[in-house]
Amino acid sequence: MEVYRWNSHFAPGGGSVRSMGSVTGNFTSESALHPAARTVFLDAIDKGWADPAKLHSHSRELDHLLNESKALFAKHLGVDPSALSFLGEPSLGHFIAISGLTLAQPAPRHFFPSTSRQEVLEVVGSHPGSTALAVDLDGSYSIPVGAQDDLLVLHTVNGETGAISPDTSDFNGRIFVDATASPLQPLPANWSVALWDSRSWNGPSGLGIIAIRDAGGWVNPLPHLDHRVVPGGFNPALAIASAVALDAFVKDFAANQAATRRFNEMIRRFVTDEIGEVDIASPETARPEFLSFSFLYVDALQLVDMMNRRGFAIDSGSACTSANLEPSHVLAAMGRLTHGNVRIRLHLNVVESEIHSLLAALKACVEELRETR
Amino acid sequence: MTHVDALGKRCPLPIIMIAKAIRTSQSGEVLTLSSDDPATWPDLQAWGRLTGKVVKRLEATRFEVTA
Repeated sequence: MEVYRWNSHFAPGGGSVRSMGSVTGNFTSESALHPAARTVFLDAIDKGWADPAKLHSHSRELDHLLNESKALFAKHLGVDPSALSFLGEPSLGHFIAISGLTLAQPAPRHFFPSTSRQEVLEVVGSHPGSTALAVDLDGSYSIPVGAQDDLLVLHTVNGETGAISPDTSDFNGRIFVDATASPLQPLPANWSVALWDSRSWNGPSGLGIIAIRDAGGWVNPLPHLDHRVVPGGFNPALAIASAVALDAFVKDFAANQAATRRFNEMIRRFVTDEIGEVDIASPETARPEFLSFSFLYVDALQLVDMMNRRGFAIDSGSACTSANLEPSHVLAAMGRLTHGNVRIRLHLNVVESEIHSLLAALKACVEELRETR
Repeated sequence: MTHVDALGKRCPLPIIMIAKAIRTSQSGEVLTLSSDDPATWPDLQAWGRLTGKVVKRLEATRFEVTA
C-alpha cells in the first residue's frame, strides 16, 4: 500500500499526482523509506562495501561519499560536519552521549523533564543528584539556572506529543539534546552533545547521528580501539541513504508545512466537536506533525485494532497497548488521560481525503466502543 | 456509601465503572473506588479535571470521588 501511495505521490513531474480513493492508513510514527533514499541506498550497497579508513580507490570513493553525506547532515541539522559521527545503534546513543559527558567531567546535578524518553530515564533517572523536572498539562517545564558542570538532558521535541522544549539560554551547565523525535526543531544555542535518529526523517532504521560540540568535553564510555569518538560498526550505505532522506524530508516539509498545520487543526476540531469527551495532550504550540489525544471510556487496544481493520495504522500510549502494561509515563507526567490514547503522525505525503476518512473511522470506532461499555 | 470494586480490572474499566456509579448517585454523594491498575490514579485525576469531579487518593489502591 505504501508503495502505491508513494508511486502516485512522487510521480514524475513533481509529485502533484495524488492517490485517489485509496486509503493507505499509515499514521504511525515510523514510515517506509523515502523513495529517493531507497534508490540511493541500493546504489550505496554496491559502492559501500569498502572500509572508508583504508587507502584503496574504493575506500577513498566511499570516504568521499560519506563526507558528502556528513556535509548534508551538517547543513540540515545545524552543526559543523567535524562534530558529527555515525552510530550503528541509535538507542545506545542516549547512554553514550550522557555517560561520555559525565566521564569527561562529573556532573554534580542532572536535570531532565519527567517527559523524557525511557532511554534517558534509564540512564539518568537513578543517578544520585538527579532531578526530574515536573511538567504542566502542556508538557512545559521550568529549566533551573544550574552551575557550570551540571547536566541538563532534554528533548527538542517530545516523541509522543510533539511538545517543543522551553528556552534553555539561561542554563549555565552542559546540555545533552535528545533530538531523536524530529530533525526539524533547531538545537538550543548552548548545546553540548546532540543525538538524532535516522527514522525520524523516514531514513533507514539502524542509524543514529551524534554531534559532539567540544571533543575535549566528552570521553567515549565504551571499550574502544582507537581515537574514533564513537564505536565504529555503522553501515555506510545507511548513512548515505539517510542523508538523502533527510534532504528530501526537509524539502517536503517546507512544501507541506501549511497543509500539515491545517490537517492538525482539522483533527483537533473534529475530535473535540464531533466525537467529544476527549483530552488533547499535544499543546497548540507542538510540532504540527505530532498529535496525541485520549478518548474517555475507550479501550485503546480495541480502538487500535478496529482502526487497523479499517485500514488505518495508528499508535497509542495507553497501558493496554504497551509491552509492560504501564500507561505512558509522558501522559501521566502531564496529568493527561492515559486510557483511550491515540497518537497520530502526519506524514508529509498525507492528503486531505485521507484525513477525512481517518476522522470518520475514528468517530465510528469510538462511538461503537462507548456504546458497548 | 457506594463502593465500586474494580480490583483486578484493567484500564479503562475502573474509570468506566466509577463513571457509571456516579450517574445513579446524588450530587455531593461520596463514592469509593478500589483499583490496583497502575493507570487508575493518573486517569482518575484526568477524569476529575475533564468532568469537574473532586477525586482523592485514600490509599495505594483506594480512591474517593465526590459526585
